[in-house]
Amino acid sequence: MRGSSSTAERGARLTRWLVTAPPALFLVVFFLVPALIMAAASFREPGEFGGLAPLASTGLTLEAYRFVFDDVIYLEVLVRSFAVAALTTVICLLLAYPLALLIVRSPKRQRDRLVLLVILPFASNFLIRIYAWMMILGPLELLYTPFAVIAGMVYVHLPFMILPLYTNLEKHDPVLLEAAQDLGAGAWTRFRRVTWPLSLPGVLSGAALVFIPVLGMFAVPELLGGTGDLLIGNLIKEQFLDNRDWPLGAALSLLLTAAVLAVAWLSALLTRGRSAS
Amino acid sequence: MKHSAWLWTAALAAYAFLYVPLAIVVLFSFNDSELNASWVRFTTRWYAKLLGDPDMLQAAANSLLIAIASSTIATILGTMAGIALHRWRPRLLPFLVLTPVSMPEILLGVSLLLFFRQVLDLTLGLFSILAAHVTFSIGFVAIIVRARLAGMDEEIFAAARDLGATPWRTFRRVTLPLILPGIVAGFLMSFTLSIDDFVITFFVAGVGVTTLPLQIYSMIKVAVTPEVNAVSTLLMALTLTLIALAARFAPDTLRRSP
Amino acid sequence: MKRLLPALLLLAPLVATATDTLHLYIWNNYISAQTATRFEAACGCRLKQDYYSDNEEMLAKLEAGATGYDLLVPTGNAVETLIRKGALQPVDRSRLPHFANVDPAFRDPWFDPGNRYSVPYATSVTLLGYNATKLTELGLPTDTWALIFEPAHLVPLKGRVTVLNSPRELMAAALRYLGHSAQDTDPAHWRAARDLILRAKPYWATFSNSTYIKDLALGNIWVAHGYSNDMVRARADARAAGRPFAIGFTIPKEGAVLAVDSFVIDRAAPRPDLAHRFIDFMLQGDNAADVSNLIGAGNPNRAARPAIRPEVADEPAIFPPAETLTRLEMLRDLDPRQRRLLARMWTEIKVK
Repeated sequence: MRGSSSTAERGARLTRWLVTAPPALFLVVFFLVPALIMAAASFREPGEFGGLAPLASTGLTLEAYRFVFDDVIYLEVLVRSFAVAALTTVICLLLAYPLALLIVRSPKRQRDRLVLLVILPFASNFLIRIYAWMMILGPLELLYTPFAVIAGMVYVHLPFMILPLYTNLEKHDPVLLEAAQDLGAGAWTRFRRVTWPLSLPGVLSGAALVFIPVLGMFAVPELLGGTGDLLIGNLIKEQFLDNRDWPLGAALSLLLTAAVLAVAWLSALLTRGRSAS
Repeated sequence: MKHSAWLWTAALAAYAFLYVPLAIVVLFSFNDSELNASWVRFTTRWYAKLLGDPDMLQAAANSLLIAIASSTIATILGTMAGIALHRWRPRLLPFLVLTPVSMPEILLGVSLLLFFRQVLDLTLGLFSILAAHVTFSIGFVAIIVRARLAGMDEEIFAAARDLGATPWRTFRRVTLPLILPGIVAGFLMSFTLSIDDFVITFFVAGVGVTTLPLQIYSMIKVAVTPEVNAVSTLLMALTLTLIALAARFAPDTLRRSP
Repeated sequence: MKRLLPALLLLAPLVATATDTLHLYIWNNYISAQTATRFEAACGCRLKQDYYSDNEEMLAKLEAGATGYDLLVPTGNAVETLIRKGALQPVDRSRLPHFANVDPAFRDPWFDPGNRYSVPYATSVTLLGYNATKLTELGLPTDTWALIFEPAHLVPLKGRVTVLNSPRELMAAALRYLGHSAQDTDPAHWRAARDLILRAKPYWATFSNSTYIKDLALGNIWVAHGYSNDMVRARADARAAGRPFAIGFTIPKEGAVLAVDSFVIDRAAPRPDLAHRFIDFMLQGDNAADVSNLIGAGNPNRAARPAIRPEVADEPAIFPPAETLTRLEMLRDLDPRQRRLLARMWTEIKVK
């Protein structure tokens, strides 16, 4: 009996291994290792023609970090990226909330169709969506302005806000609203006291889905932005694809990673605080 | 409801915001003007030009091939990851699976570029794009499959085991049919992600292997003609068809996917 | 999944690149579609083009793993860098019977003594293109960098000016305006140039390397810092679309950057044979004339001269007279330390 149970155990372990190992291995090779290499690259010197200088001749150095923190401009770009991401998130929320509410409050049969109508534009490539705004804003003389950048960012990321909100709102029990109404609460009070607090998890996950991609986006400022609309994503891209300074690009990437982790941690903290209270 | 008036207005505004720009793109794909600033007259010549453009056709073929191959691989690996996450709650795997999904794309693009160039000294091309696309798709498939498993009654699997089914048989006969909608949803999701990806592909694409988004980017940046509008319109029509098919054959995937 | 396999197999031939394809990495708007088509017919092969709009972009892309190009068309400083890097293969003169067509003035350049690696293709000048109708209306000068650097001139142009999204080119313009050489690397002079740029920046619409062609032709932009051949293109586009204004371009009197762009063959070129055929094709007089007639670039090819239309040949911004040539300079490449300093200043320029 013991023997067979240990065979079964071994079999179970083997199954677990066979199922877990392939995806884990793939991601170690194509995600973890590259991430570590990027971290390591930030401690190298740029090569004469770009790339990295040979390790043997220059060794490791903090030069790239000294360069980044020596001056406030790089941090300024990071702060500006955060501001753009925050503004985009808020505008997305303001646009998405009524839309999601409307969908939830429409008859069940229509809901799927309305959701589909939201997903459809999202199914076109985001470059096409940016290009659409180039066409609109050019004649209006608004192209190459901060406004254009925000409009483009919102347009590209809006569905990421709508869908989680909708998923959340859909689960609300209408009985709660009816009870509030019976207790004499007006529409605004019902929203403020019932709908909004209940929807916070949806708001938070939507916010994360908008905020983080905007932080790294370089195509929108590049195509729609003016002389001052440089975000951290553009800086990183420039180091690799214009300026040939890989260590600086890697250091800036790590800076962005740290910023994103901080945001994720904060949002996890908020969510946990919510569910605890 | 009393406030339905303003709700309708706001929602209509949001829908208009979503659709008007795309309508303009479609409209101006039929404009007989190279500069395409104002409407001149109706033409379909940009579509003719597009269909005779070997670079464009090649890019479309590349995009399609990469999307099919990468979403197939990602679906297999992602399903395994989803099952593993659900069944054994491993410690390292969630980090590996979920981080690529939640990081800004540029970081994955840049780190893969460094990896391919600095470590593998690889000639960038189909393989590098494929590997990159699989990497960012696995997480999405895993999340969808895990969500599907989480909604399921554990008793079924226990019952199958008690009846003496081997793990493989349990999987083939019980688990797989049950999570199949999730797998299909995951496949469609990673297909869309792959065929749409610009940022990561931008960093890991090589000479002679262009994808449609890269081609569109280069056209927008360098020489905008209504050909861009035409290719955009066709792409939208394609995704529309895909979504219609998905809605017909796997209705619940649409609601669950993102 | 079983059904996918045949689908994949059907796609495979589409993806496998045709065996006879020449991969050319070239400046945008630098070879006309007609010329390309003619070459394809003559050679019976495909010419696949990718474009860049800045030398730095091209060098960075090569560094970032763009292997597989046969031919590149870098400017002098980039040719020098690529040679030092060992990224090129020597051209085989015996396969270029038409090399004799190259104007002796363009042979044996400083960036490639003896033309071992490069064959000159075309020249352009970085200058100012403008909406002539609008600028006459406003009574503004068109022959000086002051137009894009002096707030006094910029006030009525606010939001109507683009400058190149290229640290080297923009700094060169500012340095020339301040009376320095475009090749100057003195940090103090760089800082002065940066301050000049920062003072003018609020009036500019954006940094653009290629979209200014369209914006000029549309009338969205009234002044653009850019390449002479792009201005020719903008002028032609505006005329073709019947826009109610004229596009002009002038080399600023303070001096400007001259670019001599040459064909070079990548060391790892998969098809050096096709590359040589292409270069020799482009060296033949009629084909060489295309880059002037259809693109509006200057021409280092003697045999092309008779075929160049007089209105192009007489355009001083395309074929600068000897007196102007003394005020034109070619850029030199920077070392990594200078690159980083310039990158910092560039970031500052963009952020502030």
